[in-house]
Amino acid sequence: MAFLEINNVSKSFSKNTFAVQDFDLRVDKGELVSFLGPSGCGKTTTLRMVAGFETPSTGKITVNGEDITFRPPNQRDVGMVFQAYALFPNMTVGDNIGFGLKIAKKPPEQIKKRVDEMLDLIHMPGYADRYPYQLSGGQQQRVALARALALSPQVLLLDEPLSALDAKIRVSLRAEIRAIQHKLGITAIYVTHDQEEALSISDRVVVMNNARIEQVGPPFEIYNFPKTEFVAQFVGTLNAFSAEVVDPARQTLRLEGQFLQTQEDLSKRRAGERVMIAIRPERFSFATDGKKDNLFNCTIESITFLGSIVRIQVSFGRVTLNMDTFNNPHLELPKIGDKTQITCSSEAVLILEQGDGQIKPL
Amino acid sequence: MKKKSSFFVWLILIIGMIYFFLPLYATFDFSLRMVKDRLSFEAYRVVFSDPLFYINFGYSLIWSVMTIILSLLLVVPTVYWMHLRLPHWRPTIEFLTLFPFVVPAVVLTFGLIRLYAPFKLLGNPLLLISTYVVLSLPFMFRSVDAGLRAIDVRTLTEAAQSLGAGWPTILLRVIFPNLRVSLLNAIFLTFAITIGEFTVASLLAWESFGVYIRYMGAMRAYEPAALAFIAFGITWGIMGLIQFFGRGTPGQQAQLAGSR
Repeated sequence: MAFLEINNVSKSFSKNTFAVQDFDLRVDKGELVSFLGPSGCGKTTTLRMVAGFETPSTGKITVNGEDITFRPPNQRDVGMVFQAYALFPNMTVGDNIGFGLKIAKKPPEQIKKRVDEMLDLIHMPGYADRYPYQLSGGQQQRVALARALALSPQVLLLDEPLSALDAKIRVSLRAEIRAIQHKLGITAIYVTHDQEEALSISDRVVVMNNARIEQVGPPFEIYNFPKTEFVAQFVGTLNAFSAEVVDPARQTLRLEGQFLQTQEDLSKRRAGERVMIAIRPERFSFATDGKKDNLFNCTIESITFLGSIVRIQVSFGRVTLNMDTFNNPHLELPKIGDKTQITCSSEAVLILEQGDGQIKPL
Repeated sequence: MKKKSSFFVWLILIIGMIYFFLPLYATFDFSLRMVKDRLSFEAYRVVFSDPLFYINFGYSLIWSVMTIILSLLLVVPTVYWMHLRLPHWRPTIEFLTLFPFVVPAVVLTFGLIRLYAPFKLLGNPLLLISTYVVLSLPFMFRSVDAGLRAIDVRTLTEAAQSLGAGWPTILLRVIFPNLRVSLLNAIFLTFAITIGEFTVASLLAWESFGVYIRYMGAMRAYEPAALAFIAFGITWGIMGLIQFFGRGTPGQQAQLAGSR
């Protein structure tokens, strides 16, 4: 039995409109799972049901075998970190961190000891007597994390904890959150709309759209083998096209008159059927001599320098696609309007299923 | 051009000051002329040595304090709950609190007399206090509402809940301390309204400071002027207290800003 189980949970606020539908997930002890999706996809509502701020319309939530579905939030043993920090402005950092312990009626010496421990954990020793307004956003969020962890909760919930911070702090703090979570071995759920954040911090990612789970898997799998068009589009940048199946047995497709090979199973498709295919920009490269498969004759449309990578947009027929290449000082870039040949391996050509989300008609 | 506009600003200001201070000065000057051909505080001495003054003022103090307590108990939890769970009720509640601006106190009191006379409740001080609570609603509601708007009520409540706090703890340790300034505002405004209230107290036949001023006004010449000035001083003193406490402890505003 998994440590945290969310069994077929649905939440509807009114008839026929679901905020969350058939959410089913098992989280192991010490695992960090992130919920990723656009705003309004139900990820925060799911988190709030685990926290106890919302009750599921149907389904069951258990922690360590105990059913907590209808237990009030103050009896759940769940720590929560909010996007808006939510530190108590009238209390010092020390009082904020010790708030939960004080309510649990722990003796003062013990509270003080635990507060000092937590301050060490977030690398902010000596800040106990400061007030929240005297801290930067990043420091406030670290204090909020310490406050949530002070009671040693069974599950840590983080609701877009880095969204209010600027980019540099976001990256360093997410590494810190991950390190602390690892060190304590605490089970955590991390809600975010930032795909890079989800991929970098999680053991597993749950991609959600329109109240439903689209795909669950480790970051590597989510990125490299997206199952649905939505996941492919939402996670990373992607070239997606509608292509025609030419020969299911030999896994051949046709895109704008040019043939391409895939390694995906096409045995259930018929010749002439249209399927959605996806290729990541970094899987393309300029064709070198002797290459025969998956060659595209195309025209350079634009070149964008993005620092570590260079994104080149090319077109052929009605198709425009992006290809990424690593930057290096000796890179010889083509010019706009040049004719060129690009290629990708057959395993880079993914066939996308239609998810439950919004699908563009083919 | 600039000089001209600043001249008019000063002119308007001076006219305003005259409009405001001249009657006040006249009242004060008149209150000092009880003894013929000499300025003296005789009228004040008479007022302060009148036992009725203390009795009536004492009553008004009691009404004020009771009103403040009842009003706080009614308004703070209501507005808190409105912020937390019933935001769509705001227009309704706000409209209800405007009641005393729409219905004059006289009309309100006559309504109360007609309604409660059959139940023999007219002699019950609770009726007077409840009426005062209604009169203070617009000020109470607005102060508390503004205070709750300044803090992120919902997230703070949820943060406290997830740390194991129940409702009493949340209200007493988290919400009230962060509302300190706006609660003080509400308290002082309610005090200022009720301490000199005349209409309701008079119609319900209760002793109060307002009733006493009115009584003296009908009987004497100089003492009412002195009383008016005293009443004015009390109100001003309260306003001064609002200003003083309203500033809060250093950094209070920054604290509130930091919580957002």
